[in-house]
Order: sequence, then C-alpha cells, then structure tokens
Amino acid sequence: MKLLGITACPTGIAHTYIAAEKLSRAAKELDVEIKVETQGSVGTENVLTDKDIAEADGIIIAADKGVDLSRFAGKAIYECGTKDAVKDPKRLIQLFLDGTVVAPQASKKLKSVEEAKQEIRGKQNLIYRHLMSGVSYMIPFVVVGGLLIALALAIGGEPTPTGLAIPENSFWMHISDIGGAAFTFMVPILAGFIAYSIADRPGIAPGMIAGFIAANGSFYDSSAGAGFIGGIVAGFLAGYLALWIKRWKVPKMVQPIMPILVIPIISTLLTGAVFIFVVGKPIASLMNGLTEFLNGMQGSSSILLALILGAMISFDMGGPVNKVAFLFGTSMIGAGNVAVMGAIAAAICTPPLGMGLATLLRKNLYNKEEKEAGKAALAMGLCGITEGAIPFAAGDPLRVIPSLMVGAMSGAVIAMLGGVGDSVPHGGPIVALLGAIDNVLMFIIAIVVGTFVTAFCVNFLKDLKQRKDNVSNQKQAARE
Amino acid sequence: MLITDLLKPESIQLTLESTGKREIVSELAGLLQQTGALSDQAVFEASVLSREKESSTGIGFGIAIPHGKSEGVARPAIALGISRTGVDWDSIDDEDVTIVFMLAIPQHQPGNEHLKILQQLSRKLVDDDFRAALAEAASKEEIYALMAQIAI
Repeated sequence: MKLLGITACPTGIAHTYIAAEKLSRAAKELDVEIKVETQGSVGTENVLTDKDIAEADGIIIAADKGVDLSRFAGKAIYECGTKDAVKDPKRLIQLFLDGTVVAPQASKKLKSVEEAKQEIRGKQNLIYRHLMSGVSYMIPFVVVGGLLIALALAIGGEPTPTGLAIPENSFWMHISDIGGAAFTFMVPILAGFIAYSIADRPGIAPGMIAGFIAANGSFYDSSAGAGFIGGIVAGFLAGYLALWIKRWKVPKMVQPIMPILVIPIISTLLTGAVFIFVVGKPIASLMNGLTEFLNGMQGSSSILLALILGAMISFDMGGPVNKVAFLFGTSMIGAGNVAVMGAIAAAICTPPLGMGLATLLRKNLYNKEEKEAGKAALAMGLCGITEGAIPFAAGDPLRVIPSLMVGAMSGAVIAMLGGVGDSVPHGGPIVALLGAIDNVLMFIIAIVVGTFVTAFCVNFLKDLKQRKDNVSNQKQAARE
Repeated sequence: MLITDLLKPESIQLTLESTGKREIVSELAGLLQQTGALSDQAVFEASVLSREKESSTGIGFGIAIPHGKSEGVARPAIALGISRTGVDWDSIDDEDVTIVFMLAIPQHQPGNEHLKILQQLSRKLVDDDFRAALAEAASKEEIYALMAQIAI
C-alpha cells in the first residue's frame, strides 16, 4: 500500500513537521509506504508529484488550515487536524489498511448496459464463458438456417394434410435446403468454439469433429443425434483434452508440430472414441426424450414451461440464467420445436419495453437519466435486446426484477397458448418483421400484454415506495 | 546554522518556577527578553497565547512547544524550560508537560534558515530516544550536547 500525506498548521513552525514525522514513523512501523508533503512556513516541501498521486492508494490530509484537494479527485481521502496525526498516526493509516476510507463513487448515475455487462462478465466463471463463446459462434448458423427454412415454408409452402410442405424440386425447396445446411453446422460449431475458447486454436479441429460425431447418431448406432447437449459435452471434452496435452513437457524438436499435429490428432481420436463407445448413445436418448417430452407438452404443462422460461429470461436479462433458457430454446429450434422459442421471443423483449413504457406512463417516478434510459430501452426492446432493462434493474433490483419477471411470464404464457412459433434464436418484434414468427397476431398480443404488465407492476411498486418515503420524510420534518 | 545559535544558555531554565501554562509562557519569554531576542515581550506573549487558544501546543509525551511569530520578536530564538512537577498544558494525550520549548519567530526575517532549524527540532521531538535523553539531562551542558545533533 502506498499512502500520501499533507500536513499544514496555521504558523507552519512546529505541528506541520511533527505531524509529518509522526505519520512517516507510524507508516514505517505498519510497513506502509508514505510520502508526506509539508506546507509550512518554509514553503511547501517534499511536494507530491502527479506520479505519486496516480500511484497512491489513499491520502491523509492532516491540516488545520485549508488545503487544495483538487489534485486528488477520485482518490480515497481522509481529512483531519494535525492534532490527530500527532496523537495517533497509526489509527489514520489503519483506516486505509482496513478499507474504512474508500475513494468516492464516481457518481451514482445509472450504469450503462455495457458497464453493467462488463461487471457481470467479470464475475462469470470460466465454464460459463467457454459455453457462451461457443453459443455466440453458433447463433448466426441457427439464424440463417431458421430464417431460410421459415421463409421457404411461408412463401413456397403448400398446405397438405400434415401441415405446410414445400414441393420437391421447387425453388423454395432449394432455399430450404440451404437453411438445412446451415443447421447441420449448428452443433459442430458450438462444440468447436467451446473447445477453441478453452484450448485456443489446437482445440478447433477436435471440437468440431467431435461435435459432428455428436450430432450424427449413425456414428454410435443411434437413430437420433446427441444434439446440443452432446455438442456441449463434445466441446468441453475436446477442449480440456487439448489444453491438457498442450501442457505436456515435450522435447524442443517436437514443439513446432504440437499445435498442428499432435494435439489435434490425439484429442480428436480420444474425444471421438469416448462419444462413439461411451456417451453418444445415452446423451442421444436423453435429448430424444427431452424433445418428445416437450413436443407432447400441451395445456397446463406447456403453461408451466412458459412460466419457467419467462421467469428465467427476465431474471438476469442476458446473464447466465437467461442464456440457459435461451440456449434451450435455440436447441429446440434445431430439434424442430419452434414453440419454445416463440414463448422466449416474447419474454425477451418485455423487460426493456416494459421499463420504457413505465417511464412514459409515470414521469414523476423517474429522474432525467432514467427517462433517457427508458427511451433507449424501448429501442432495444423492439430489437429484442433484453439487456436494455439492466440499468433499471441495477438501480432498484427489488422492485424492478420481480416486475420484469411477472411481465415476461405473462407474455411467454400468452405466446405459448397462442401457438406462437419462432424459428430463429432471437426475440422481440424485429423477429416478426423478419418473417420468422408463426402466428404474428398472438405474438404481438403477447408482447403488448407483457409490456403493460411489467410497466404497471414496476410503477405500482415504485409508487408505494415513494409514498412511504414521503410519509417518513413528513414524520421526520414533524419531529424536527 | 546550528540550533545553539538560537538557544542560548541563558534561555535554559532547568527548573521552572511557575506551575501554570500562562505563567510559564511569561517566565520563558522573560528569559528571551534578557538575551535581547524580543523587542516587545507583551506583544510576543500575546501571539504565543493566541496560538495556544487555537489549539494546544502540547504535542504529547510531556512536551509542549509554545510558539509565536510576532512583531515583538527581534531575532529568532528558542527558550527551554523543564518543569519538575509537570504542568497541565491541555496536551492531546492529557499528560502533564515537563519539557517546554518556546520558539520566537520574527514577523519579518530574511532567509528561512531559522525556520528549518525549528522544523528539525520539531521532527526530532518525535524521536523517543531523543526525548528520553532530554528528560534525563541534568545540566545545561548535557542539553547543549543533545541539541548540537540538530543542524542543517
């Protein structure tokens, strides 16, 4: 720890220097580095430089006259008289060691979406980061595949007894095939980039190949593939294997061929073998069971699912819980069930839309910054970016998050019951514009209802608090 | 410049006669007056007492350093008095004061050597060993020898 001090007394004869000496000696005893500037009758000595200030963990101002503090903006400062430094210098230093004195908060302004995300990212664990890295690379493939197939069906599909079907060899069949090609990359890309995130470049080949094996049941005698769960398992397996081999101590001569030859081959072989002989089949049947279970969900059980998904999506607005629900919806698109994503798509946009609407409905409950954030939230909501609500949730989580959840859950249930389907892994009104939504009317209704529920809930709770504050303020005023 | 240029043997009182803060200030100012360091003892005393009013100069560990920067000072000087009984000086550690350094600083004095000497003295007083030796000093000679350590 490095501290700085300034001592100054009215005459600048004695106390300035006694205080400085005391602080220096106490710092030495406590094993703390300190530099003390004395503003005395001789003039200012031992002047603190900009470099000193930049490096300092805190500043002790022991002065009986005014000292210019503008140099120390944003630093932890403790101000006291020279007397305090003379009497008990150790206590002053201990204040900094204990963290009792801290730098002033930059200001209590709302955190921007980026800042809040950055903060959350700092807290995420490694496993989650690797998983999300894989998911982020996979999403464009799902979007392209889902959108092209949905478009082909919507425009080129013809009604048949079993639903819409695209005639063989028609133009739209080719478009649909392109979409299908994109889908086949979904799991390999997921696995490949999880492994890439773990082991860097040597992880890509084993990850993708293992992902491909996971997605194709024929490798391990199964009619169905192991889907996205298989992809995740494959990615982590390949990634950590590659990372482990990367750390082997090998002769210098072998080193250059490690990343391009040794690591990929060994980890690909091992991961592939594990899938083919051990985990492939069980995961495939698990996936299969899950899909069938979901497809079979109707009535009350589908409502329960929608409630859970809505709550998860809005709970942390783009955080891990949200992403689990989102990943689930995405994988269901790959498995041919677009209803799950339909419910999620509605829940994704109600938190920011609801907060935006809330700031418009009750202007007196929000400050200027929040109103600005409200407008931004509306725009983000339309584009299906749940994070737009984060600034509000960060500022008042106890009132905002439950409201967001109630709104998102109502939206998700309406979408689920209304038969809304979404064939791209994204939410919000923008998806309807892209033509990826089945049953657009119900989708819009779900969003509007969810948005209003959110806004009413949050304004109700904030209003309650404001009244309570007013009452206690009045009581306080009466007492005084 | 040495501290002994400021502290004359005549301004050292090995046993202070007074027992009160105010009286000791007068007694030591009287010693300074005799060496010709003060031009107006009353004005100087007033400046010392007004400084005391702002906050006590009892810095703890039985030491007080009353001081004044005043028109009543002709040349920079130090007086030293030792109280054998101890005096209440409203010290920051509530202990009675036994050693009193009085510093007289002229309002206008070219150069700042004298200020640096006083600065060194102030810093030195924080040193436990120095204080202990000072408290045990039985003669003006011993005190002089100790003080000679302080120089710039």
